[in-house]
Amino acid sequence: MMQARDVIDQVHVILVYLLLVLGASTSGERLLAITLSVLGFMSTAYFFQPPYGSIADGKPLDFVALVAFLATAIVATHLLTRAQTEAREAEARAVEIQSLAKLGSETLSAGRAADALARIAEVIQTTLGMSECSIMSWDEASGFRAYAGASAGHADSDDMLLGVLERAAPAWVRASGEIVSGPSGEHDAAALSQGEPIQKIVIPLTVQGRVVGVLRLSNLSPVQLDLAKRRFLDAISYYAALAVDRVRLVAEAEHAEALREADRLKDIVLASVSHDLRTPLTTIKALAQSEALQGNRSAAAIEEQADRLTRLVSDLLDLSRLKGGGFAATPELNTAEDLVGAAVRQTRGLFGDRPVRAIIDLDSPALVGYFDFAQSLRIIVNLLENAARYSPPAQPIELSAMREGDMLVFSVADRGPGVDEGDAAHIFEPFYRARSAAPDTGRAGLGLSIAKTLAEMQGGTVKYARRPGGGSIFSLLLPATEVGVEALEQSA
Amino acid sequence: MPQGKGDARDSLRIVDHPAGVDVTGDLDRVVRCSTANLDTRPVMPDADLVLVIDDEPQIRRAVRDALRDVTARVDEAANGMTGVDAASNARPDLVVLDLGLPDMAGVDVCREIRQKSAVPIIVLSARHSEHEKVDLLNAGADDYVTKPFSVLELAARAKAQIRRAKTLAAATTSGGPVTIGSLVIDTVARKVSRNGTQLHLTPIEWQILSTLLASAGRTLTHQQIFDAVWGRQFGSPQQYLRVHITNLRRKIEPDPAAPQIIITEPGVGYRAELSR
Repeated sequence: MMQARDVIDQVHVILVYLLLVLGASTSGERLLAITLSVLGFMSTAYFFQPPYGSIADGKPLDFVALVAFLATAIVATHLLTRAQTEAREAEARAVEIQSLAKLGSETLSAGRAADALARIAEVIQTTLGMSECSIMSWDEASGFRAYAGASAGHADSDDMLLGVLERAAPAWVRASGEIVSGPSGEHDAAALSQGEPIQKIVIPLTVQGRVVGVLRLSNLSPVQLDLAKRRFLDAISYYAALAVDRVRLVAEAEHAEALREADRLKDIVLASVSHDLRTPLTTIKALAQSEALQGNRSAAAIEEQADRLTRLVSDLLDLSRLKGGGFAATPELNTAEDLVGAAVRQTRGLFGDRPVRAIIDLDSPALVGYFDFAQSLRIIVNLLENAARYSPPAQPIELSAMREGDMLVFSVADRGPGVDEGDAAHIFEPFYRARSAAPDTGRAGLGLSIAKTLAEMQGGTVKYARRPGGGSIFSLLLPATEVGVEALEQSA
Repeated sequence: MPQGKGDARDSLRIVDHPAGVDVTGDLDRVVRCSTANLDTRPVMPDADLVLVIDDEPQIRRAVRDALRDVTARVDEAANGMTGVDAASNARPDLVVLDLGLPDMAGVDVCREIRQKSAVPIIVLSARHSEHEKVDLLNAGADDYVTKPFSVLELAARAKAQIRRAKTLAAATTSGGPVTIGSLVIDTVARKVSRNGTQLHLTPIEWQILSTLLASAGRTLTHQQIFDAVWGRQFGSPQQYLRVHITNLRRKIEPDPAAPQIIITEPGVGYRAELSR
């Protein structure tokens, strides 16, 4: 030692110890490295620094260098071991991210969204080492639906696995949006976050603030989930939520597609009903009518029934248009008189001898409005037909036109029985038939609902009122307008 | 095939088809030719000829039956092409055209017939669409019947169209006063009187009335009337046509609330009716 002391410089000794310390810290053992640093410090001070044989006595200047050596060794040890820990964590996280990414791409491209859910459940179960994992989707219509991963070891029956309390847990979690965990599944959100051993856990699955389902995990014995596993659970439950939402969206899309298809089919059927039924109906009606005109009474009956079928077919078409928005109105400047005249003409002879009495003020300038002539005529003719159908044959029907405020009011008044209080609220509904109405009128009961729809499309409406002295008044209201005399003369 | 108009035995004539017509259709025609020959009712040599263009044999038969009291001379064509040819070659007095032909749009059939002939055209359609009517009338059709049609209505319209076409030429050349009930319209002196009392019409009302009278019995679309009265260059005041018509009716109609001279074709146009 004495000889070596002369040959070896104190600096060399320090460097050798530093190498030893760094070597120890790369091995990852922080305690060993620090022990070595302290030992190195003490032995260098004792053996290689005069006065030899003591640690700190009478070595003022060189001792500072030794203390620096100690500090360097400890800091280096600390930095190295920390770097190594972080590297290990980063590696673990990389694996985690990789598996999540793989899972994400797999699940989102899985053929059936439901398969993706089962696959996610399986991955969660194997990764966390739980014996059972299931994802339960939830929606208003069908409630909970479970998608289970492969269960390790037990029969896959929810009812056998879960007690009454646990069966209620998913609903509670869904409603509250909070985690339920604990040895037996009672509400204990703290147990999971504190890393305590748990046996059962129910986690809400949330997409954009909506709880779309729950993730349910259980094991035969309590397990402790470390931070990495809890983080994994957190991340994967997001995937599970996305997948649950995707299942819902796919189901909705399929449903919408089915509805569209059904709607399209309905349109096709109705269109072909229109064309395909009208062709034979035309033949039947024309031939039967020709025969009937020669005095064949059976042919007359056939013609009557053909007419009835024709009305039903057009009611059907109207219904499809009513629902599909197929009615179109193009309001134009028209006169009330023109409309009344056309209605009187169109219904002439339809009601036997019963006259339609038109009431128009011919002394004032013509009433003008902004409405679709053909559609408005349909409405008025419909109201006139109703009046004729539901009132005694001897009574005339009155059709009047007047201006009230900024509306033109066309009123059809009859002396029929009127509409019952109870019926009055419903007569504008499709297929509604008043209790007092004739049981078989050969119509589908769409008249008034279509009339009202057509009126509303033009910014008007159809109203019912009891007629003073008995009977009904159905009124068609349409937007009125003015035509200046100058404008009219300019156009002349 | 010679198709002389005066062939008395020609109660049902078949129009030549272009090559490639299906056999079943021809067969059907052969069968009905024989039944048609059983019809022993006399056929006037100068009876009016009606051409029915329809791809449905049953409807052709129904139309023929419906026109029993109008004429016994009916030509049939099963598609648009043959129909257009027959309309110019056979020189019918009336064409009854069903829409929805397999080979041509109804509007095109109307237009092509109208290019070669002034024959009246009555259109049959399954749809009840004002737009369709307007398009067809603008393309040259004269009247429009919705399927399923009434036999009486079709017959009445067919008669009216045939008569109108025949009297049109005479009426336009004579220029004499037109009398409708108590109404006398002097188209030359531009004077209208009722029960001897002179009525005052504005120039535009007079133009509308004379336009309608010139095509009496025929539905004119709003556009056609407007073009005739105001001319194409005008764009905006077309909507006032209906107000002018209402005012005109108040002057000439016995009951303006139930017009009998100027008839409204809802959503399509107007028609003057002289036959009273």
